[in-house]
Amino acid sequence: MRTWFKIALRNLKKNRRRSLITLLAIALGFASVCLFGGFTQYMYDANQEAAIYGRALGHLTVFKQGFLEQGQLDPARYLLTTEEIESIRGICTANPQVVMVTPQLQISGLVSNGKISTIFIAHGLVPSSIDAFMNGMKLFKFLEFEGRKLEDDSPYGVAVAKGLAKLLGLKVGSNAVVLSTTVDGQTNALDMEVFQLLNVDTEFLNNKVMRVPLAFAQQLYDTRGADRMVVLLDRTENTEPVFKQLRTAMQELGLGVEIKTWKQLSQWYQKVRDMFDLIFLFLFVIVFVIVVMSVVNTMSMAVLERTREIGTLRALGLKRRGVLLMFGIESSFLGVFGCGVGLLLTFMVRAWVNFAQPTWTPPGISASVPLKIILLPSYMVSSGIALVALCVLASLLPALRGSRQNIVDALGHV
Amino acid sequence: MRARNGENLLIEMDEVTKIYTLGQTRVEALKGISLKIGYGEFVAVWGPSGSGKTTLLNLIGMIDQPTSGRLCFGGREITSLTDNQQSDLRNQAIGFIFQGFNLIPVLSALENVMLPLQIRGEKLARALPAAQKRLAQVGLGDFIQQRPDKLSGGQRQRVAIARALVTEPSLVIADEPTANLDTTTAMKIVDLMRELNRGENTTFIFSTHDQRLLAQVDRLIDLQDGLIRGEEYRR
Repeated sequence: MRTWFKIALRNLKKNRRRSLITLLAIALGFASVCLFGGFTQYMYDANQEAAIYGRALGHLTVFKQGFLEQGQLDPARYLLTTEEIESIRGICTANPQVVMVTPQLQISGLVSNGKISTIFIAHGLVPSSIDAFMNGMKLFKFLEFEGRKLEDDSPYGVAVAKGLAKLLGLKVGSNAVVLSTTVDGQTNALDMEVFQLLNVDTEFLNNKVMRVPLAFAQQLYDTRGADRMVVLLDRTENTEPVFKQLRTAMQELGLGVEIKTWKQLSQWYQKVRDMFDLIFLFLFVIVFVIVVMSVVNTMSMAVLERTREIGTLRALGLKRRGVLLMFGIESSFLGVFGCGVGLLLTFMVRAWVNFAQPTWTPPGISASVPLKIILLPSYMVSSGIALVALCVLASLLPALRGSRQNIVDALGHV
Repeated sequence: MRARNGENLLIEMDEVTKIYTLGQTRVEALKGISLKIGYGEFVAVWGPSGSGKTTLLNLIGMIDQPTSGRLCFGGREITSLTDNQQSDLRNQAIGFIFQGFNLIPVLSALENVMLPLQIRGEKLARALPAAQKRLAQVGLGDFIQQRPDKLSGGQRQRVAIARALVTEPSLVIADEPTANLDTTTAMKIVDLMRELNRGENTTFIFSTHDQRLLAQVDRLIDLQDGLIRGEEYRR
């Protein structure tokens, strides 16, 4: 075997210019796949973070059975009662993977500065739970706010999206009025004070969104209930197992609730993922074509130039599969060295990204975010193996042609 | 030892033909050759260009297939063997010496000589001393690390001879082995082959025009127009 490695290496060295060009094509292909894969991973992670923590969906959300289909039409019927909230809290806190369980109530209505009124949608949550969500934001840190934190003791202090604040001319400390209907259909109005100006992660919601204390939302809807219980786990990887455990526990207690994972609730995440998977597939096909064409070209030249050598080796007793092995090894070296150089390029680009810390504004997002590349070793190893395998496969066609030549014709090749 | 006694046959050919088709043209390179060669013979095949010498050697060396006829090697009918079986048999029993030496340019003399053993799957511990011994035997003990492009024509042919002999084959086939060599070197190569033939009882069959080589052989096969026109036993 050592001899075949030697022959492969020395032939690559002998044709160094040709080897270098092929190697660079493989290196660029590998680096592209790794870097785009790293960027894709960053997008997955950032959107996952934005869904779980930024939009305070948590890892799991418990609704009253039927809320997602009928909740808008008959809110009073589909709100969780205080007893149900306590039962759900009891089940969830018994699970060691659960770090927080908190009620939320989403509301909507009109908000007015006295002169202009506009619609709003607001997320009512317990102010002391907000930090737990915000601490989970590592990648998309644009959700930082101007002003001060919402407080459990100040139920009228609310957060307003910057776009909405601009529309109504609100600043930190401004007062406004919100108007809505209670769960029983009565009109209700509340004064509010702007504690915070928020960046929101979705551009089209920037002029509509507010974040309010749960007590404020409950008072506006005239209820003590909540429309959901949000469960935050220690690790996102635990979502599925804990989902099953909690669902079983709640069914056993006959609570009449349904439980959803963050993935089921965040269609945006799945769409982003599908889009990037498609782009990645497109990129991989391009890399595939470039690598295959480069290797086929290099190996075809090698087979042609070494036809006499193939004839000689066959005369000495080398079997056809030995010829395939010889060119396969040569091609795998190209793949391995190409991936090695590609790995170096990948690290260099990532080091530059870490150093320069560029920012960008993703589509549909209202603020710029830091660009990052998250390199996953397992992904890089599998991409490397796939590329080396591709190189070997690409060499098979010319090598097969070489191995099937008539020995006498090969020996007479000039 | 000799085939004419009908004993110890290494090669037996019976009405072997070889026809090449080049487009519309059909060329009968061999027109029904019957031939017997015994172990340890030193045989030359001679004749004018296009007489079928190389074709005959190619068929005996199993690097080409006859169109018809029977061809046995060491008692085995070789036309019925698969490509892999023929490859194994070539590796184990036949050594080739080519007119153009056909050494692998990226390997040293030693690595070139080890090659047939490594194709066979021999470990380096066995292949290395065998190759060193053969190179020393052909007088190249001091050149084992040289690549072919650093060796003279005669030295290259010696490496090729060492490579042909390293597997201790029953048969060595040489196609015009002295064609590319000057007289002195050619004589040395002929003497070397003769010495190996006598010392190790290895059968040598070669095609040649070289009278210096013809003077050394035991048996001369005169080939013309794809047919054996005559045979002469010199010893």
